[in-house]
Amino acid sequence: MRIPWRQTLMSYTFLAPALILLAVFTFYPLVYGAYLGFTEYTGARFAQGLGPKFTGLDNFRTLAGDPLFHTAIWNSVRYLLVVPVLQLASLAVAVLVNKELPGMTWFRAAYYVPVVTSVSLAAVMFEWVFNREGVLNWVLTSLHLTTPQKAIGWLNSETWAFFAVMLVTFWRGFGYYMVLYLAGLQTIPQELEEAAVLDGANPWQRFWRVTVPLMRPTILLCTLLSTIAALRVLEEVLVLTNGGPLNSTYTALMYVYAKAFQGFDFNYGLASAAGLVVAAVALIISAVNFRLFRTDDVAEGA
Amino acid sequence: MKRTLTALTLALGLSAAASAQAQTTVTFWTWYLSPKFDDYIKTTIAAFEKANPDIKVNWADKQDSMVQDFISSVNLGNAPDVVNLNIDETQKAAQNGFLRAASDLTSAATLKATFYPQSLANFTSGGKVYAYPWYGWLNEGVLLYNPDLFKKAGLTRAPRTTSELIADAKIVKDKTGAYAWVPALKDPNTASFLGYFYAEGLPIYAADGKAAFNTPAHAALLSQFVDLYKGGYVPEDAVRREAFQLATELYGQNRVAMIIGGPQALTRIKDTNPNLYASTVVTSAPLGKANVQTGGSMALVVPTASKNPAAAAKLAAYFTNNANQLAFAKVVSVVPTTLGAQTSTQFKTSSTDPVAKATALVGASGRYINPGYKAPGNSDDLYKNFNDNIEAALLGKKTAQQALTDAVTYWNANMKK
Repeated sequence: MRIPWRQTLMSYTFLAPALILLAVFTFYPLVYGAYLGFTEYTGARFAQGLGPKFTGLDNFRTLAGDPLFHTAIWNSVRYLLVVPVLQLASLAVAVLVNKELPGMTWFRAAYYVPVVTSVSLAAVMFEWVFNREGVLNWVLTSLHLTTPQKAIGWLNSETWAFFAVMLVTFWRGFGYYMVLYLAGLQTIPQELEEAAVLDGANPWQRFWRVTVPLMRPTILLCTLLSTIAALRVLEEVLVLTNGGPLNSTYTALMYVYAKAFQGFDFNYGLASAAGLVVAAVALIISAVNFRLFRTDDVAEGA
Repeated sequence: MKRTLTALTLALGLSAAASAQAQTTVTFWTWYLSPKFDDYIKTTIAAFEKANPDIKVNWADKQDSMVQDFISSVNLGNAPDVVNLNIDETQKAAQNGFLRAASDLTSAATLKATFYPQSLANFTSGGKVYAYPWYGWLNEGVLLYNPDLFKKAGLTRAPRTTSELIADAKIVKDKTGAYAWVPALKDPNTASFLGYFYAEGLPIYAADGKAAFNTPAHAALLSQFVDLYKGGYVPEDAVRREAFQLATELYGQNRVAMIIGGPQALTRIKDTNPNLYASTVVTSAPLGKANVQTGGSMALVVPTASKNPAAAAKLAAYFTNNANQLAFAKVVSVVPTTLGAQTSTQFKTSSTDPVAKATALVGASGRYINPGYKAPGNSDDLYKNFNDNIEAALLGKKTAQQALTDAVTYWNANMKK
C-alpha cells in the first residue's frame, strides 16, 4: 500500500522537533565524542584555539598501558554485582507493596524518598552510618557482632569501602526500580493470578511461574537501566571515597571525569576514548541481558 | 543645511563612540565569596566604577564548578575578564595557555612595588607573572589549642617544632583519647604532603627540574607519619578528607586538641561551640627544621580569551592593591599579599579575643606565604600518583622509601615542562 506523500510529510513534520532535539543533544555529541576518542585534544590545544588532532589509536594504546584505567574498568565491572541484588530486592518489595492494604501508599512513597534525595545529603548521612564511631558499628556492637576496639572504618577499608558505596547505590536505586516493577505488576491480568490460585499454586509458585514470566519485559528494562547505571556510577563514589582507599572504589566514569573535567590539564581525547571503552562494555553486557531476558519465548508461550 | 547635518552626524557619532567607551563591561568571577562577602565585593566594585567611569563591572561568584565554567565560557566565546584562582590552578591555567601574563599588562616595576617578592614568585610560570596576588593564608600561621585537653594530657605548652608536635600526638592520644592534630596527609586535588618536606628543608625538585623527593631523609620523615597513622594517633579519615575541614569539625567536638592553620577555623568554632571558642588558646604554630611557613593565596587573573584585557588588568590591580586587601582583612581574617601590609597598624592591636589575636599574629606575615612547591606540568595526574603512593605507605602496602621512589619515577616520566 502506498502512503500519500502528504501524509508522509505530515508525519515527519510532527516528528521533526523531537528529531532535531535528538540530533543536537544526543546524536551529534555521540558521534563527535566517538571521533574525539581518536584525537589528541588537550587543555593546551584548546586554550590555543587549536581543534582536535587525529591520532588514530594512540589514546586506546595509552589506556591499554594505564594500570589506573585497568583498575577503574575492573571496579566498574565488579560494581555490576549490585544489579541482581538490587533487581531481586526491588521486585520482591514491589510484589509486597502491590497489595491494597492500609498504609501501603505510605510505604511506596517511603521507599521512593532516597531516589529524590540529593547525593550530597546522602553522603553526609552515610558518613554517619559508615564512620568508625558511626551507626553501623553501633548496631553491630549492640548485637555483639563486634566490639568498639574491632570497629571498622568502612569507607577507609580497602576491603569494605567498595561494598559500602555499593550499598548507597542500592539505597538510591531501590525505590526507582520498585516503582517500575509496581507499574509492571499492575498490568498483569488479575484472572491469571486467580486461575493459578484455582490450580492450587502457592504464592511462591505463583511468583515464579506467573509473575516473573509476565514481568520479563519490565525485568529486562530495569536490568538494563541498572546495568548501565552501575557501569556509570560516579556521584556516590566521588563524594564518599573519591575513589579510595588505594583506588579500590575508583570506577571507569571517575577516570573519564578526571580526564575530561578535573582542571586545566584536561584531555578530551583520552576521556572520550575511555568513554568509548565503557560504552563498549555496556553494549556487550546489554546484549547478554537481552539474551537472558528475551521476551519472544513468553510471546510464543502466550 | 548640509553642513549642519554633517556636524550633527559627527556629533552623534562622537557621542556614540563616547557612550560605547563608557559601556566597556568587565566580567569578574570570584570563587566562594558570595553571599558572605557581598558587601565588601559590591562596595569595592562601586568604588572602582566611580574611579573608572568608562568601565562597568559585571560580578558573578562561582563555587565548585569554577574551573569547568571557566573552560566552558572560553569554548562558548564569552570568557570572563577577571577570574579569581588559587596558586595551583593559576599555575595549571598558565602552563596550558589559558592566561595572559599580568607582567604583560602591568609593568614589572608596579608589580614589584605592590606585592611581596614571594607572592609574585608563587604566580610565576616560565619567567612571567600570571596573576595579581590577592588574599592569602598561612598553613602554619597559628596554633589553636583546647586547654582542657592539654591539661588532661599533662602538656604545659604548645609544641614549637614538628618533632615536638609528633611527640605530643602520642601523649595526647594515649592520655585523653582525643587526637592531638590532623596532619594534611593527602588533601584532595593537591599534593599536601610535599608541604612537610618543604617545612623540613627537604627539596621537592632537583636543580634540573626533576622530582627529587625520594632521598632517605624524605623517606624517614614520611615514616614518622606512617607510624602515627598505623598507631591510630591521627584520624583515619585524614586519608580521605581535607585535613583542615576535618580538624575544625573534630575540634568543635573536643576530639582534636590542636588546629594548625589560619584564624578562619576560629570563626566556625565560634558558631558551633562558643564555650570552646572562648577558652581556645591562640599561639604561634610549630615549624619544621627549615623554619619556614607554608601557605596559599588567591589571585586575580586575566584569561587569554578576555576581550577587555586592559580594563580587566585595571580591575584586578584595583582589587588587589594594598588599601583594598587591608580592607578585606578587616572583614575576614585573611593575610594580605601586599608589601604595604607588613607595616599596617591594623595588625598591631592586642586583644584577648581569639580571632583578633590570631589575626594580629598572622596578618602582616604575607611575605611567608609559599606552598612549598610549584605545580608540575600535568599536575592532576602527578598529584594523584603521589597521593596514591602516600596512601600505600600509610596503609602498609609499600615502604615509605618505595612509595616515594615510585612517585618520583612516575613524575619524572610524566611531567610536562
